[in-house]
Amino acid sequence: MYADKQLVIRRTHAPDGLSFTGAIDLFNVDSVARSLSSVLGEEGDLHIDVSQLEFCDVSGIRALVTAAESVGSRRRLVLHGLPPQLRTVMRVVGWTDLPGLVIDDSGVVEK
Amino acid sequence: MSHPLKSFRHEALMYASDAEFLAGTVPFIRDGLAAGEPILVVERPEKTDLLRAELGVDADAVQFADMLEVGANPARIIPAWHDFVARNGGPGRPVRGIGEPIWPGRRAAELTECQRHESLLNVAFAPGSAWWLLCPYDTVALAPVVIDEARRSHPFISDGSAHLESEDYRGHGAPAALLDAPLPAPPRQHHELAFGSGGLVGLREFVAGHARRAGLGADRIDNLILAASEVAANSVRHGGGRGVLRLWQERDAFVCEVRDRGNFDRPLVDRVRPGDDPGAPRGLWLANHLCDLVQIRSLPSGTVVRLHLRNQAA
Repeated sequence: MYADKQLVIRRTHAPDGLSFTGAIDLFNVDSVARSLSSVLGEEGDLHIDVSQLEFCDVSGIRALVTAAESVGSRRRLVLHGLPPQLRTVMRVVGWTDLPGLVIDDSGVVEK
Repeated sequence: MSHPLKSFRHEALMYASDAEFLAGTVPFIRDGLAAGEPILVVERPEKTDLLRAELGVDADAVQFADMLEVGANPARIIPAWHDFVARNGGPGRPVRGIGEPIWPGRRAAELTECQRHESLLNVAFAPGSAWWLLCPYDTVALAPVVIDEARRSHPFISDGSAHLESEDYRGHGAPAALLDAPLPAPPRQHHELAFGSGGLVGLREFVAGHARRAGLGADRIDNLILAASEVAANSVRHGGGRGVLRLWQERDAFVCEVRDRGNFDRPLVDRVRPGDDPGAPRGLWLANHLCDLVQIRSLPSGTVVRLHLRNQAA
């Protein structure tokens, strides 16, 4: 659904969500935020596969956190395959324990 | 000596021997304990051992932290004090601290940042919180210029018995004064890359390639790439849209510098823990946790940020 020279965003189904491949930084974060918004209106949890995300800066994490805060109280944003560095960054900058955000450690994402 | 402490009291303790160190710190600790004040001591292990031996069972009531860890990057010390004061202090509940961030053998860049840290403390805690921080300085082991600077950065000076206002204290000063400490010029041998509207992919590859050739480990390379990308993104967003990145090897560290034409006047921007506001800045805070040292300057020529990663063997 989106591609630039450093990032490809694909729509995923069962589970419904998005997969990110490549790099997110300030040059494409607006597109990332738009893609997240476009699937926010749907039913059920939103599954984001970040296992192929090679780079993500603070602005990119901010986009994910903002989306997680917007999903509403009955749904969650589930991150699959979160790279260790991103996990550390989220802890350091204080983005943990957000009610709408779940980090799935199973490492398996159904396509 | 009981003081009705109403605001932050930042005091240097000048000592010339272990005996003088203990004579200046132990009564300070015992007075605090007698008053029921929480106390945190952030010292190197050998000083902590000295204090524990002298305090005996009283040491159990004192919190200790290792300055070699907390203060390895001096920019992480103020957040640690913030946490301690927030957890233990409050209105009508003064607290005490002892922190010795400067010791012989600090790298030159670390010493510079420790000295900035001491000045930034006056801004970070003035005038609100009622707590007393004692900063021991070894007058024998440290260079006279270091002791002179301590007299300028601390409003109060103690020699172990008398607690006096420092005649040399330079005051809180303008925020800009905390950001314009001089930096040595980059060495002639460095690698340089201009960046801007074309994106940061090439910049990250440039950093990765040179860091790999410099022998940094994979995790540390990833940390440097992220920190450099955050700083460069700041240049693109706030620093005139572009900048120049330079990389070089120093004797004991690999250094990555980003320069742009921007200016800013928030000297504490990299040491205020990000709160809940998703829009709050986080890049420089993060850089301080990814790198061993971060030097931030706002100079007439623009903004300079230097990221240091120590050689692993060092």
